[in-house]
Amino acid sequence: MSAAETMVRMGELAVSGVPGHALVALGLGSCIGLGLVDRRVGVAGLAHVVLPESLGHVHQNPRKFADLALPEMLDLLEDAGARRVRLEAVLVGGASMFAASAARLEVGQRNEAAVRDLLKELRIPIVAAATGGNRGRTVRIDVASAAVTVREAGGKDTELLPGSMILEAA
Amino acid sequence: MSRYTELQLDALRELANIGSGTASTALSGLLSRAVDISVPSASVLSLADAVSHAGDPEAETTGIVLGIVGDMTGTVLLLVPPADAVAMCRMLGVEPTSEFAPSALGEIGNIVGTSYINALASMTGMALEPTPPTTATDMLGAIVESVLAAGAHAGDVALMLDSNLVVEGDDCAMSFLLVPDQGGVDELLSRLGMS
Repeated sequence: MSAAETMVRMGELAVSGVPGHALVALGLGSCIGLGLVDRRVGVAGLAHVVLPESLGHVHQNPRKFADLALPEMLDLLEDAGARRVRLEAVLVGGASMFAASAARLEVGQRNEAAVRDLLKELRIPIVAAATGGNRGRTVRIDVASAAVTVREAGGKDTELLPGSMILEAA
Repeated sequence: MSRYTELQLDALRELANIGSGTASTALSGLLSRAVDISVPSASVLSLADAVSHAGDPEAETTGIVLGIVGDMTGTVLLLVPPADAVAMCRMLGVEPTSEFAPSALGEIGNIVGTSYINALASMTGMALEPTPPTTATDMLGAIVESVLAAGAHAGDVALMLDSNLVVEGDDCAMSFLLVPDQGGVDELLSRLGMS
């Protein structure tokens, strides 16, 4: 267990470069947990994206929109020492929790598509994903190793992205 | 955080009180047991706080969702913990592990939610219709955030009117959330002469 976990709640984002620290989003439904990691320097970010596009709603919390959360997280990652060319992305969530009859709830798929498009434009590779379906998920990113685990309701942690410790050169 | 006055929140609470009173009568008739209701609370919360307010995000819960369409759009969400869902199925004579259990719970949600929506409609003079219920059993946080996300475009805060329905003697309960879409709250208040 890590000593410190930062809970990234709905519409929030966090960046950390502290060894032993973890970023966690609990119970993602239609929202996307977008993780970006730079293994070289052990810096990671996690955004809990609620909706695909801001559509000009700039007066609101920008972090809930994919198109505004991602640029802000990139700036924070670079401030923390990450390099954009080394970033790798993981996507978790984007589920459709309720049957398709409730059309207004189909936000999950649109969120995933929007995040994938944005990452493609930025040429950030998606190295692992656990998305879609109809189950809620919890994601946990270990900052130092970039290990990513995912858990579904009533299930155990499963490894989505293996961690790799890169030792500092002496 | 709140853009509503204490007086306005009181009015909304009263609305929830009457709505859940009607809903408890419907539940009572369905299960043939007495049903108590708690005093409802009205909270205006950020999206993140609204999810926390509902409980442990990873707790397994059955959520029954009814959309509201008409003069106001929004969502009614009933949350039933697993043990309580089992108890309610038994009261209806449905085996909790059978394939009929989700539709039995959906039907409870339908009757309870529809009576709540009808009470709202007659109190405010609005034309309101429920959409058919959908049910999911999963992490509480995933259920609540998916409901909030669907209406999150226009605003950063969610108004949550919640109350508890407790079935007497069987120690089973469900909580009841009314989440109006952003413009819906103002419409409710104006119909009550409180805008």
